[in-house]
Amino acid sequence: MIEAWVIGTLARTLAYGTPLLLGTLGEIYSERSGVVNLGVEGMMIMGAISAFATAFTTGNPWLGILVAAIAGGLAALVHAFASITLRANQVVSGLALTMLGLGLSGLFGKGFEGKPLDSTISNVTVPLLKDIPYLGKILFIDQNPIVYISIVLTPILSYILFKTSIGITIRSVGENPAAADSAGINVWKVRYACVLLGGVLAGIAGGYLSIAYRPAWTQGMTGGMGWLVIALTIFASWKPGRGLVGAYIFGALIHLSYRLQPFVAPQLLKMMPYAFAILALVALAIGPGKQKSEEPNSLMEPYVRGEK
Amino acid sequence: MKRFIVFTLVLLVGLGFMFNVGLAADGDKLKAGFIYVGPVGDYGYSQGHDEGRKYAEEIFPWLETFYVENVFPPDVESTIDKFVRNKDADVVFTTSYGHMDPTIKAAKKYPDTVFFHCSGFKRAPNVGTYFSGLYQTYYLTGLMAGALTETDKLGYVGAFPTPEVKRHINAFAIGLKEANPDATLLVRWLNAWVDPSGAKEATEALIEEGVDGFAFTEDTPTVLQTAQENGAFSFSHYNPMYRFAEDAAVSGQISNWGVIYADILYKVYYGVYTSENLENVDYWWLMKEDSAVLGAKRDMMINPEYVDQLKSTTITDPLLGELSVYDLIMKRREQMKADRVTFDPFIGPMKDRQDIQRLKDGEWASHDELWTIQWAYENVKGPWPDEPTE
Repeated sequence: MIEAWVIGTLARTLAYGTPLLLGTLGEIYSERSGVVNLGVEGMMIMGAISAFATAFTTGNPWLGILVAAIAGGLAALVHAFASITLRANQVVSGLALTMLGLGLSGLFGKGFEGKPLDSTISNVTVPLLKDIPYLGKILFIDQNPIVYISIVLTPILSYILFKTSIGITIRSVGENPAAADSAGINVWKVRYACVLLGGVLAGIAGGYLSIAYRPAWTQGMTGGMGWLVIALTIFASWKPGRGLVGAYIFGALIHLSYRLQPFVAPQLLKMMPYAFAILALVALAIGPGKQKSEEPNSLMEPYVRGEK
Repeated sequence: MKRFIVFTLVLLVGLGFMFNVGLAADGDKLKAGFIYVGPVGDYGYSQGHDEGRKYAEEIFPWLETFYVENVFPPDVESTIDKFVRNKDADVVFTTSYGHMDPTIKAAKKYPDTVFFHCSGFKRAPNVGTYFSGLYQTYYLTGLMAGALTETDKLGYVGAFPTPEVKRHINAFAIGLKEANPDATLLVRWLNAWVDPSGAKEATEALIEEGVDGFAFTEDTPTVLQTAQENGAFSFSHYNPMYRFAEDAAVSGQISNWGVIYADILYKVYYGVYTSENLENVDYWWLMKEDSAVLGAKRDMMINPEYVDQLKSTTITDPLLGELSVYDLIMKRREQMKADRVTFDPFIGPMKDRQDIQRLKDGEWASHDELWTIQWAYENVKGPWPDEPTE
């Protein structure tokens, strides 16, 4: 009984945690290069509507995911242009991007409200692997391919960030852009690339929501997930592996908030994931200094050559 | 100067998007304005009202309508100002509970205009009220659920614990118990009207608990879709949602505001309703008036895939004797649609799950009792905010 309970919860955790994980991985890269992007919610929902619209009109859900990635990337470029090239305030630009995304997607999505989608990315069961005790039931029965993509992506992005010269380049741009610049690194290019990657992953996360997780378009359907991503990025200390852990903790809490309703008041449960986010951030802020030092030093600071 | 012109243009275009006002007025047509709380494409409440508006406009050549969507309570009065002053509206419909006080206020300002407010309780000489009740259809789908479940566990994903949602849950539970005394109804709350991700996880959580059939109150087809993915069945809610899950959708409720709008506008046009005699005009329309329709799509009361099972499941009713659940559903529907209604789900003796007597033997629940209902029926399980203890 308990066993089935835990397995069921963990399987749902993966399904709900996936868009959070994808968004967090992207935001980690963006922030590692020194650019905070508060537009995750906007990029995600742009991804969601473009994926749905594409899959609906072409009948090809994977093409939908591709278009979602492009849409997320284009939205991110708006932020990159404002915050890197024009050196605008990153917070303001990101917030504007979120509002823009929510508004535009609502407008474009009007014709797609209430339409069923026949071509979705449906869940799969992996033969052989499904027979692994416990793990098989959690991971390999009735899970979505995009869940696997996000899991595979995590160690790869972690490896690139910490074990390769590309990663060193990105991190040095985020830590000390002036030093990186004098070492011959093109700070703007690196930042553009990282912000772009963040947008692409957020777009895919949105696409997952509208054509895999729950195949339909509803205005505002990301429901604040983009904001959880911002909190998760800090919670993860800008490390992809910890991002995965954090995303799954959130996924579990959100699923549990319905599972535990017979025992705990629903209103309290609904607060749980957000209360956890606040507590986690407070703990990080007042805890040992180790985590704080992970924060990229020049986060939120536009780079101007020749100053400082 | 140039900047100013560009700014004004942008502002005008923006306002144009915000107020999707329809065509301009002409001739001596009756002009009716509709104010919606949500977008007309929400696939839920506001779309239901807008379909009602279109229906009325289609059948009456003398009627002209316009609407504004996404109007929250603070903007209701100014929207009414625009309707009355700029569009010469003769009738104004405000469709959300929160629109109540601004409507009453505006009605004082425009005593010659006819107002109708949906879902509220305040009236005035020029303000009538109306509402379409779905609980009878929920009862009928409850009967189906009782016959179709194999695990004897049904699930209800509810939006907010308001009297309206509780009335629907209880009606469903009453039907369920009548068809299957052993079955229980597990309730989960979303605390949101629109929350597709929450509805998905709530449905998955209930499936983990062994639930194999669903009813819900949430403005997207998520519960239905999730039921289909998991091989469970479900009833659609509010709008025809059959096409989202053609295997899982057994039946459902379709809210049909058109008949109410048509009736009101007809009576206004021919002078039955004026801006002086609406003090006691309150519509509470049910199945009898076709305001609530049974089905997951129009012209299909029950999904043919499920008809055989409903016909082969029999129960014994104290009055009707032994009959199939299918026949019982048809009989109840007939009774509730008859000129003189001979059945309602809420007839005593009825106890709530705290074993408190709610209706005496043979007593029919009054309009007020149903309007303010807070208790939970015997077979309902799960959290129940504001449950009365006496």
